[in-house]
Amino acid sequence: MKFQDYYQTLGVARDASPDDIKRAYRKLARKYHPDVSKEPDAEARFKQIGEASEVLQDPEKRAAYDAVGSQQGGGSGDFQPPPGWDTGFEFSGRGDEGLGAQDHSDFFEALFGRAARGMGAQRRTMHMPGQDHHAKVLIDLEDAYRGAQRSVSLRMPVLDAEGRGVLQERTLAINIPKGIREGQHLRLAGQGGPGLGDAAAGDLFLEIEFNTHRLYRVVGRDVYVDLPLAPWEAALGASVAVPTPDGEVELTIPPGSAAGRKLRLKGKGIPGSAAGDFYAVLTIALPPAGSDTAKHAYAALKAAAPDFDPRASLKG
Amino acid sequence: MTSTMNHDYTIDIVEEELQLTLDQLCRACRAHEELVRVWVVEGVLTPIGESPPEWRFTGTSLRRARLALTLTRELEINAPGVALALDLMDEIDALKARLRTVT
Repeated sequence: MKFQDYYQTLGVARDASPDDIKRAYRKLARKYHPDVSKEPDAEARFKQIGEASEVLQDPEKRAAYDAVGSQQGGGSGDFQPPPGWDTGFEFSGRGDEGLGAQDHSDFFEALFGRAARGMGAQRRTMHMPGQDHHAKVLIDLEDAYRGAQRSVSLRMPVLDAEGRGVLQERTLAINIPKGIREGQHLRLAGQGGPGLGDAAAGDLFLEIEFNTHRLYRVVGRDVYVDLPLAPWEAALGASVAVPTPDGEVELTIPPGSAAGRKLRLKGKGIPGSAAGDFYAVLTIALPPAGSDTAKHAYAALKAAAPDFDPRASLKG
Repeated sequence: MTSTMNHDYTIDIVEEELQLTLDQLCRACRAHEELVRVWVVEGVLTPIGESPPEWRFTGTSLRRARLALTLTRELEINAPGVALALDLMDEIDALKARLRTVT
């Protein structure tokens, strides 16, 4: 088990005041909040920051942590809590830990896991509906077109026979319905946390996220692709093959098409009762003027359009 | 559309098939009822219906409420601040979507 240097995580000194710790936490929390942050490892960092602040902002936990840390010498090597380290500490626990408890590091669990278990035992006699759980599922755009089956592994805190909170891993086979869109949620009734006493289990909510696609961009139900054309295809019109998540289609390019023009394939976006559209956004690719023949062809084009001013729009 | 899996649970698409009562929304996002009422007053959430017992929240409210809760708890932003932050996030999302239609 790795020793977690919570002071280092928050970038504060060991003798930092509660205010300093709070300020450091706020600043980092804004920077790494997964809903706001652009950092690639935002979610992991945010959890570390949250755990560090949970310990350092709680006087009881901070004192206990400091006691262990001084024996450890502050190093970051392999860590085992010394036997009987926690005698003399009693954790009151936070009332609202909820699902967040499963996100703690092993280190945190080893030091403070006991508090949560105690709470579970006290609440056993009550009848309380189970908590709703939330998770994310990554799928491909193609899955939204066809529907798909995904196995989702979840670690959930559950109470064992003795009323202690333990993490249980379980795998659910989930049918992703055809027509699902990014940001939508699936609700799996009764698959959340178990209820206490006779109360019903909570629900499991899965947020759908799409993997970034090499070709396509998705906006709600609509799907976009960039379609490069040769100048003569754009000028004279053509019939070109365009890939769509549903397979290749033949698209007619009208003569005189400009770059940026969007050609719509109605109903070829994400399917559903109100199916999205598929858009090919035209771009013009220029053939290189590498050979003499190509140079002559460009010169001939120039001669053929003596009045053409590509910068006419820049003139007052 | 509700489909039964090889296991005995049903899957609903929240945004399309669900309307949540105040109680259900509170449970799903783990927020106190009092907080949700404040969010409605501040315009963070706009339920259908006149009074709290009649309120029905659409599935999209769930994501908004969860976001609002993290902003409230973890960044200690007050309700008007949460409303502002969510409006700005909506605007960023709309701009990003527009960007994806051009390049």
